[in-house]
Amino acid sequence: MPKLYRLHRAALYAAVFGTTVAVVSTASAEEIIIGAATAQTGGLAPYDQPALAGLRMALDELNAKGGLAGKYTVKLIIKDTRSDTAQTATVAQELIDAGAKIMITPCDADPSISAGQLTQPLGIPTLTLCGSAPVLTAAVGDVMFGTYPADNVQATAVADFAVAEGKKKVFLLTSPDSTYTANLPEYFGKVFEKKGGAVVGRGTFTMGQPDFSAEITNIKSLADQPDLIMTAAYEPDFPAFIQQLRGAGVTIPVYGADAIGTPTIKGLGKLVDGVVYTAAGYAEPGSKLEAFNAAFAKYAGHAPESTYEVNGYEIGLILDQAVKTAGSDDPKAIRDAIAGLKDFDGITGKITYAGTDRMPLRPVALMRYEGGEGKHIQTMIPDAADVPAP
Amino acid sequence: MIAQQIINAVSLGGVYALLALGLAIVFSIVGLINFAHGELMTLSGYALLAALVFGLPFPAAVLVAVSCGALAAVAMERVAFRPMRGASVTSLLLTSFAVSSLLKVVFQNGISARPQAVAMPSWMTGAFSFGDFTIGVGPSISIVVSALALIALELFLRRTVTGTAMRAAAEDFNVVRLMGIPASRIIATAFLLSGLLAGLAAMLWVAQRASVDPLMGFTPVLKAFIAAVVGGLGSLPGAVAGGFLLGIIEVLLQATLPAAVAPYRDAIVLSGVIAVLLVRPQGLIPAVRVQRS
Repeated sequence: MPKLYRLHRAALYAAVFGTTVAVVSTASAEEIIIGAATAQTGGLAPYDQPALAGLRMALDELNAKGGLAGKYTVKLIIKDTRSDTAQTATVAQELIDAGAKIMITPCDADPSISAGQLTQPLGIPTLTLCGSAPVLTAAVGDVMFGTYPADNVQATAVADFAVAEGKKKVFLLTSPDSTYTANLPEYFGKVFEKKGGAVVGRGTFTMGQPDFSAEITNIKSLADQPDLIMTAAYEPDFPAFIQQLRGAGVTIPVYGADAIGTPTIKGLGKLVDGVVYTAAGYAEPGSKLEAFNAAFAKYAGHAPESTYEVNGYEIGLILDQAVKTAGSDDPKAIRDAIAGLKDFDGITGKITYAGTDRMPLRPVALMRYEGGEGKHIQTMIPDAADVPAP
Repeated sequence: MIAQQIINAVSLGGVYALLALGLAIVFSIVGLINFAHGELMTLSGYALLAALVFGLPFPAAVLVAVSCGALAAVAMERVAFRPMRGASVTSLLLTSFAVSSLLKVVFQNGISARPQAVAMPSWMTGAFSFGDFTIGVGPSISIVVSALALIALELFLRRTVTGTAMRAAAEDFNVVRLMGIPASRIIATAFLLSGLLAGLAAMLWVAQRASVDPLMGFTPVLKAFIAAVVGGLGSLPGAVAGGFLLGIIEVLLQATLPAAVAPYRDAIVLSGVIAVLLVRPQGLIPAVRVQRS
């Protein structure tokens, strides 16, 4: 079996090198190790990788200027979580053992919480790349920080827009399989009802489910037809849902949130016309974001796919600022500095942690697909009083 | 609405039946549950995408994609399973897992971890209506293609020498070899057919999902496995029956379960599977020569 043997050996080598190539010796005096437990493979990889690319760009730029606060050269150690919650805990432990003083976790609440369970007792500041569930920070404790606009904030922005558009009746499509897909539409429902709208129906799906026909038939047979469907489904479920929805002749508009602001969804073309989603920012001509996009394209060789790149980049800037404020590389001091951040000038706008539950206050851009392009509707920071509790 | 849900159920069941049949054909001959069957689907999906990107007209692209699935299945047998011939059922099973994992990583690192949108022609997202209910073009195509594939396979197995030899091999492979029919040809044909079925199922799957991703083979192969076990491992009619049963139960539960219980849908389906196996341990339509892995 020479062929088989060769394949296996190749796979073995790949596995061994994939996990050890980044491992380094212990840190030198002016070096700070940042551990990144992120998904290079699996369902979260399409979200983690762009965000990580942005972070790497920021850290490369900072290292060229002497490192965080111009003083601490960053050694970034990246390990693959395979989009698996248990594996995330394993690699987080390995990163801690390697001396990580700051931890970066995947774009989802569950793996971030599993990594946070390990960093919390040690006081290591932990930032999720783009996990946006507001329950995330409370579930772990004071070391855990969100970086992306929280689900309840995004949902409020979309609901405000839907109400302003004159939408009255919504159908909520959720999936209990992740915090994001389960809660975001419900936050939307709360704000929508408070502002005079009605939730006329609810449906659920299993992530990875092949067939939405039964759910769609249920929607079609509702006596009280919704004028909007709100869901936090993302790829590959969102394309499947909308393909089958439109295929069944249903033309009700579908709104979602940040996870559908991706090239895959944009690539669906006419199928997603009118779909509203959110982003961390919008590159107006002359804006900092536009300049970032150009710089990123030069750095990575391709334009940013979404706003996850800039969000990752901003994490680098936030860490730089935090180390400056802390004046040391002590994890606890860095944590306190992040938590005290107020009106920090990011690329997409002002970012504030002070006074929050460690989910940042920051602007949300509302976008709409039209003719295969994402068009900007407006950028807003929803009224804090409207945002439902996590 | 009931008529509508019946169409939904038949359409989903048809796809499951194609998938389960693909598994069952190989199992009936070589006693291997090929868990890399799903990756054959993924491969066909990517082939469809590539063909469309290269500007092939849609029907030609589908043809290319299905052939890719079939050829990949034959290649898979040649590279991974032929060296393992005669090995224990467990070794075969593990080999298929290895092939599956390997291909997934190749797809993720070689193509993209991100799902790729596949633009289906607009007529496929259309629907036609009779009175007050509408039938989507997608589900109708699913039903027609599944039915045609099942009929064609039946004809092949009943009316051709190779088909007859395959049916005989499923009952007693050694006697077939004593009759002078080369084992390699039978096995290669079984893989070819299973690859064809995977390719066809992939087209229906992608048409409903509008995207291809590296992990997309996982769910279908799992469903196919459940359907094949419920139907009776190694039995072709059983696989078809199991596929339809699974599709019908899934749609029925999705349609009728109250929202509070809906998240337990998969658990209920699997409990149903256990119940069926308790009553009929060999499956709905047991294979003539019963094998267990």
